[in-house]
This record gives sequence, structure tokens and C-alpha cells, in this order.
Amino acid sequence: MIKIWSIKKDNSAAEKKKPKVSAAQIRVQKDLTELALPDTMQMSFPDEADLLNFNLSITPDEGFYRGGVFRFTFNINNNYPHDPPKVRCSQKIYHPNIDLEGNVCLNILREDWKPVLNLNSVLVGLQYLFLEPNADDPLNKDAAEDLRTNRKNFEYNVKQSMRGKDVKGINFDNVLM
Amino acid sequence: MKVKVKRWHGVAVWRWDVPNEEVCGICRVPFDGCCPTCKTPGDDCSLIWGECTHVFHMHCLLRWLQTEGSRGQCPMDRRTWGIKFIIY
Ligand SMILES: [Zn+2]
Ligand SMILES: [Zn+2]
Ligand SMILES: [Zn+2]
Repeated sequence: MIKIWSIKKDNSAAEKKKPKVSAAQIRVQKDLTELALPDTMQMSFPDEADLLNFNLSITPDEGFYRGGVFRFTFNINNNYPHDPPKVRCSQKIYHPNIDLEGNVCLNILREDWKPVLNLNSVLVGLQYLFLEPNADDPLNKDAAEDLRTNRKNFEYNVKQSMRGKDVKGINFDNVLM
Repeated sequence: MKVKVKRWHGVAVWRWDVPNEEVCGICRVPFDGCCPTCKTPGDDCSLIWGECTHVFHMHCLLRWLQTEGSRGQCPMDRRTWGIKFIIY
């Protein structure tokens, strides 16, 4: 009995020393356990102890961007889920909804974010951007114009950019596997 | 045979009236537990119902309403948030 009590005491002391897990961390943990990651996505955590910063790669199996590996960084702040995750593409790619700095135009990451959404919603949204790039809400106006006026040409330019070639005088990153 | 109801005895089981969802949509903690910033369930961690009938931990909802991006809207349907009632 005495032993059990002393163990309990030790535990509670350790509990107090441990830094408090933030609400954001608790919520992210829940999001991660609910995550149904499709074959076309992979997550990696550079620091295993830090759930709030991680990388995602998307390998679309259909659409214009098939055959590429697209890498994103996720930064989640301590006001999550009240603030959306900050998502950036870490490559320079030719996409109507992603600018050359890697900023992503996805409504649920901006004005349409709400705290009942979760990481799964964001992943689904990102995946969708590669299946159905959207010319109506562009961050890269050239690419959007291309997509709107000539899909064949757009397709060609996407393929060129994915090989690391120039499109309209801008060099893009090679994203082929 | 005709039966006339002379007296009617109602029996009700009390529980939070939470339609469909058993967890707070913001923190995803069940409503019978408190929000992640509180320690003991029930304490002063109230539930708040909106006019839209959506329900959240009050602490979770207030934090959302203080966030600029909320624009004073419900976290679920983004309709303008109005309080229907709070259960302490
Ligand atoms: Zn909550
Ligand atoms: Zn609370
Ligand atoms: Zn609502």
C-alpha cells in the first residue's frame, strides 16, 4: 500500500512539472487520430514531439498534376482551431491557386475557415486543388488565364513546369518522382 | 370503453439536449467533459446554445468569437451568432 501511494505521489509531481498541453495540441491530436490519409498523401513530422509543425506531400494520381510530388508545410498556432493552419507549398509550381512564393488560395484556409473544420478538411481541400485547379480565384493570374482560355496549352505548361523547365520566362521546380 | 385521463404523470430523464453531436465541434471534447482550458467538468464550463440550435462549450465559443476570422458567426453554419440560452 505504502508503495502504491508513493508511486502515485511521484506521478502527480511529474504531472506538475510537465508543460501543460495546450488546447491546440489536444485538438490536433484528435484531428490526427481521425485522419484517413489516402494513398496519394504522406505526412512527416521533422520533430516527433511537435505535432503543430509538419510536412505533407501530395502525389495526385489523376488530373493535370499526375506524376508530381507536391510538398507543403503546415504550421499550426496555439489558437487552433480558431485560426486555420498556415499552409505553404515549399516548391515553385505552376498552379492557378498557388503563387510563386508558395501561398495557397483555398477558401477554407482563409475566409471560410471555421473551427469545426479539421485537418482532414484541409487535406481534402488541397487534394482537390490538384484535381480541379480553379481559374476563378487565382493567385497566379497567368496560369489561371491559361487554364481558362486554352486547357491544352495549360496542360502542356503544367507538364513543362513539373519537369523543372521555364514557363513564360519563369523557372519552376522539378517535382517529378 | 372510454378512458378519461384524470391525472397525467410525466417522467423525464435529464441530459444535455445535444442533437446528433455528442462532442463540442470546436474542441471535440464530449459535452459531459469540460473544455480543454478547464479542469473539472461542470464547474464553470457552461454550454451555450445559439439561435441556430448549435451548441458549444461557452469557453470555446467565446474564444472563437474573439477571433477576427469569426465575424461573429456560428462555427458550424456561419450564420450570425445569437444566444438562445446558456446552461450553467
Ligand atoms: Zn469545446
Ligand atoms: Zn471551459
Ligand atoms: Zn449554428
